[in-house]
Amino acid sequence: MPYLNINEVESGVISLAAAFPKAELVQLPEPTFEGRTCHALRIGTHRLEPKPAVVLIGGAHAREWGSSEILVNLAADLLHAHTGGTGLAYGGTSFTSAQVRTIMEELDVVVFPLVNPDGRNYSQTVDPMWRRNRNPARSGGNPAAIGVDLNRNYDHLFDYRTAFHPLAPVRVSDDPADPDQVYQGPEPFSEVETRNVRWLLDRFTRTHWFVDVHSYTQKMLYVWGDDQNQSVDPAKNFRNPLFDGKRGLKDGLLYAEFVDEGDADDSAVLAERFCEALKGVRGTEYTPEPAFDLYPTCGTSDDYAYARHILSDQEEEKILAFTIEWGTAFHPPWAEMKKIVLDVDAGLVQFCLTAAA
Amino acid sequence: MPTAYTILRVRVTAQDADTLRALLRDARPDVGGRIGQNPDGSLSFDAYVSPEQAQDLAREGVSVETIEDATANGRARQAEVGEGDRFAAEDAVPQGLALKVQDI
Ligand SMILES: [Zn+2]
Repeated sequence: MPYLNINEVESGVISLAAAFPKAELVQLPEPTFEGRTCHALRIGTHRLEPKPAVVLIGGAHAREWGSSEILVNLAADLLHAHTGGTGLAYGGTSFTSAQVRTIMEELDVVVFPLVNPDGRNYSQTVDPMWRRNRNPARSGGNPAAIGVDLNRNYDHLFDYRTAFHPLAPVRVSDDPADPDQVYQGPEPFSEVETRNVRWLLDRFTRTHWFVDVHSYTQKMLYVWGDDQNQSVDPAKNFRNPLFDGKRGLKDGLLYAEFVDEGDADDSAVLAERFCEALKGVRGTEYTPEPAFDLYPTCGTSDDYAYARHILSDQEEEKILAFTIEWGTAFHPPWAEMKKIVLDVDAGLVQFCLTAAA
Repeated sequence: MPTAYTILRVRVTAQDADTLRALLRDARPDVGGRIGQNPDGSLSFDAYVSPEQAQDLAREGVSVETIEDATANGRARQAEVGEGDRFAAEDAVPQGLALKVQDI
């Protein structure tokens, strides 16, 4: 079976909810510009007391097709194995039926496999390299200026001209026609797709882990993305205007983003477990590391998700946040993509098990 | 397919971080994946650009190597996208790709 078209991602999710009582269909509140309604699935056994949740999203970037397949198949694996009382084998990595049961009983696993159906449809039928959504509001009639980069539209250091050093090569733009396809939109959460993700995090108030599935480069990334991490000087943080104009330089000593040391350690362990289980499948090496690279980012889902508890000052709302960059190309031949789905799903089952522990 | 619609995947290698930063700031290519460091200290990333843009990226301290015709490969992948709805039948559900195995 080849790649899923956008109707099949939706019907796959809906059919799982219909077939398995332990899967609850969650309809996202806002339809897309082209009028599509999105769905997520909450997977897990029902319990009276609320459970901690892992929220996994994919398909925000239109051309990174396999992200949706990774999440639909992850949900299907867990549901079939739990109902059949079996374990799961992904190549050389396997999980027992008891481990599957642990995930289903201890966690709510929330999968939202296709955040950006309009963009995926355009990429699958017109321009394979399309990245953004299809909102034309700021295009001024220029087809090349349609759409917003959803993973720059979250509310984290959105005003990058103020926040970052003038020489920092921030990978974002306020120009709708930017050829790097990283137009951030006119304001944070201007897009229905990012508002849907925010709604999901608001709805599952016990979300403690968040994973955004992207491609490519074979990495498992954790916060922060705007600068290097440090755990010694809490004053150096994204909210502090004293450091406006100083963020985002790799080698500079001007600034590094504060992260609680325990969170940094926990994030690293989760990312490492993910990579170990993934490697066990067929030997593919993914690298666990903080998201900041040579170029900083802003307005991304992972930094936003982790920053929420800092802004609300509610420790119990803390979300450890991750971005997977699977594979080495945006849309490999399906025969290769199937192997990548097995790789990443093995990593994600282990990620959930580690979270549940 | 007219040239104007051809997008190449190219590997761009800059001799050092300053050259790379300047290139990203000035040329703003559509970057795919993340930046990698090579053993000799140079830095590489993939870009998705027209043949003309690819020529413009090349400069002092920067080399550009064509990896593939991304448009042609993208069209081939579009032919691998499902048609209709494979889950339309009442009993059709995603099966997952892992083997469902009994505990030993
Ligand atoms: Zn992406």
